[in-house]
Amino acid sequence: MSEIHLNINGQDVVAQSGQTVLEAAKSASIEIPVLCHHPALTNWGACRMCVVEVEGMRTVQTACTLPVSEGMKVTTHTEKTTSLRKFVLELLFSERNHYCMYCQMSGDCELQDQAYAHGLDHWTYPRPYEKLSVDASRKYFIMDHNRCILCSRCVRACSEVAANHTLNLRNRGAKTMIVADLDVPFGESSCVECGSCLQVCPTGALVDAKSAYGGREKDVTHTITTCMQCSIGCELDVVTRYSRLLRVDGVWGADPNGGLLCVDGRFKPLYEERKRITAPMLRKDGNLVEASWDEALALVAEKLQGGECQGLAACATTNEALAAFAQLIAKVGGKAGRLEPVAPTLGYGTPAKVTDVLDADFIIVAGAQPLDYQRVVGYFIHRAADKKVPVAVISDSENALSPRAAMTVASAQAGVVAQAAAAAAKVVLVYSVGLKPEVIAALKPLGDKVHFLALDPARNGKGAEAAGLKPQAPSKVDVGYFLLGEQLLDETLQPKAGFKVVQAAYFSPLAEQADVVLPTPIWSERSGHITNLDGTVKPLNVVLPAPAGVRDEVEVLAQLAALLA
Amino acid sequence: MGKIKVATGWLESCAGCHMSFLDIDERIVEFFKHVELTSSPITDLKHPPIEGVDVGILTGGIGNEDQIHEAKEMRERSKILIALGDCAVTGGICTMRNFFPLEEVLRRGYIETESTVDGEIPAHEDLAVLTDQVSGIDEVVPVDIYLPGCPPTADAIWFVLTELLEGRMPKLEGKVLKYGMDGG
Repeated sequence: MSEIHLNINGQDVVAQSGQTVLEAAKSASIEIPVLCHHPALTNWGACRMCVVEVEGMRTVQTACTLPVSEGMKVTTHTEKTTSLRKFVLELLFSERNHYCMYCQMSGDCELQDQAYAHGLDHWTYPRPYEKLSVDASRKYFIMDHNRCILCSRCVRACSEVAANHTLNLRNRGAKTMIVADLDVPFGESSCVECGSCLQVCPTGALVDAKSAYGGREKDVTHTITTCMQCSIGCELDVVTRYSRLLRVDGVWGADPNGGLLCVDGRFKPLYEERKRITAPMLRKDGNLVEASWDEALALVAEKLQGGECQGLAACATTNEALAAFAQLIAKVGGKAGRLEPVAPTLGYGTPAKVTDVLDADFIIVAGAQPLDYQRVVGYFIHRAADKKVPVAVISDSENALSPRAAMTVASAQAGVVAQAAAAAAKVVLVYSVGLKPEVIAALKPLGDKVHFLALDPARNGKGAEAAGLKPQAPSKVDVGYFLLGEQLLDETLQPKAGFKVVQAAYFSPLAEQADVVLPTPIWSERSGHITNLDGTVKPLNVVLPAPAGVRDEVEVLAQLAALLA
Repeated sequence: MGKIKVATGWLESCAGCHMSFLDIDERIVEFFKHVELTSSPITDLKHPPIEGVDVGILTGGIGNEDQIHEAKEMRERSKILIALGDCAVTGGICTMRNFFPLEEVLRRGYIETESTVDGEIPAHEDLAVLTDQVSGIDEVVPVDIYLPGCPPTADAIWFVLTELLEGRMPKLEGKVLKYGMDGG
């Protein structure tokens, strides 16, 4: 990369070769209006808001697509560019329904902001009043074509960020429409509801069903925390207003997900319908009845000391809680473990980070279904596949990655994959609990060039590993202590303990048969840390306070430990 | 110097723009030191005087023949015409009917609404004939000053009026240029 010297508005600017005029201007704190440009997406030059005049060039140029060149002289705000921008805005406002008075984005809309900035107090052109559809066939967000300015940010987010290629444009000119697949309702399309398009939409065209009309940017609070829905540990920007959870956004550029989220992290937690446990409960005369914390903890402490004990954690809580849990169970001489299985160890290769998937030369997916369980890793694999990186799936059952993989083979044929990957410099092996010993053996010739990403099936498996919790089946003991967080358990789980303590956020079949039930916070109410798939310790920040009566596990476990002493 | 003559009118609108005008509160005392309000929908005289006014203010869009007549009358009798509010500027929320044929709108409104029993579409020679589409005022007569907002804030209205009193054409920007209910 070499330095390029140019002049913008009379100011000398040093840029890097390959940068656009827009980027160079931004680095020199010169603002150029944009609409279709988004920093997380490639530039299309669709909206023409960023037009600038360049000395020696016959016509105005779009700054977002114009590469800098040596000696270039750029003027960003001239009578001509300002009048062209107003012209573009008037055309946009005239084309569809951009009446702000009943739009949920009014106040936060980039189209509106630009119109204000350009002093647009009316529009000159007649409006066609074409009745366009509103597609509400998806559960979590709505597409209102009437509000769309065809900037194509959603199309680019769908193909570049999520690598899903559901969205596209059909027709040309004023008849252009955003379509899903071959023009089917969004709810029947290949959309995976990651919400990337929703997050980049500059107008009210993509509407979040939960947060629409819930508060403007100036009214809301943003809290950065870490997603606890799977082991990846993506960074979240949780938007709240007073005590109401409005929306979850991704954080562009954040580790490890770079801003990309999935339906499990962005939408589902806001639609939780399970019944919350909000007070300690004890079994009395066969029924669970509410009790005080003092009474409940005294009983648990007494039982823990009164017999053989097993503590089993669903790894769905903080590092701190998992460590405290392991210590408490050890203190009473019990066995502590985790409920979820772990992915096997390879014995060769080096641990990879999630983003290593994006610059691999060859990707092997074995015994794992990231598109179902660790979706962001699945989308990253799709992104690599889009760049023609070969993806090999080793699976004995159906795998959602197969349609875009270069090859899918059964475990017995894993050697074929090892051969195909032999010439690649950087092989990333994404695997999970389904990885079979014969596959480990077959891939061994790849040796140290394997960068492996072991997908833990538990939310905070790495935290459990650090606490020394290993998989255990429920055994026939006197006291069984189940630390569940908000994990939904396998219904076939058979607790065999005589006396069962369940610490959980929601009622479940296991909680219903417990002798003591203790409430816990959920993801949005937690403080502490989790360890993500990269091994990075990420903070959890309290987004909203837990309901009265709910105590954090760390506090409860410390109180129990004190009662034991 | 005599007082500046101002007339106001409301066409296809909800009256909210006039309410927002009244929200200038105690500033109205200062206002009337300089202004004579010749006519308005909220005073006794409804039509601008035939000899004309300095400033005519119209709120609401154009949705029927009578409103076309009123807009033309105000234009003819005003030196400066202000389109005040989103409906006057663009047709506003009233344009929601533009997406449907007129017959469908009338049928839905007068017959099919859930609370209506034995409804009928009003028809009488005294009733103004609806236009096919609702529009802003400037599709009927030329407008000099556009003040969008649903409604424009009292501060925005005050800004426009005081600029005119100072002899300047108001240039809307910053807090006084807002669409819809974006009061921020």
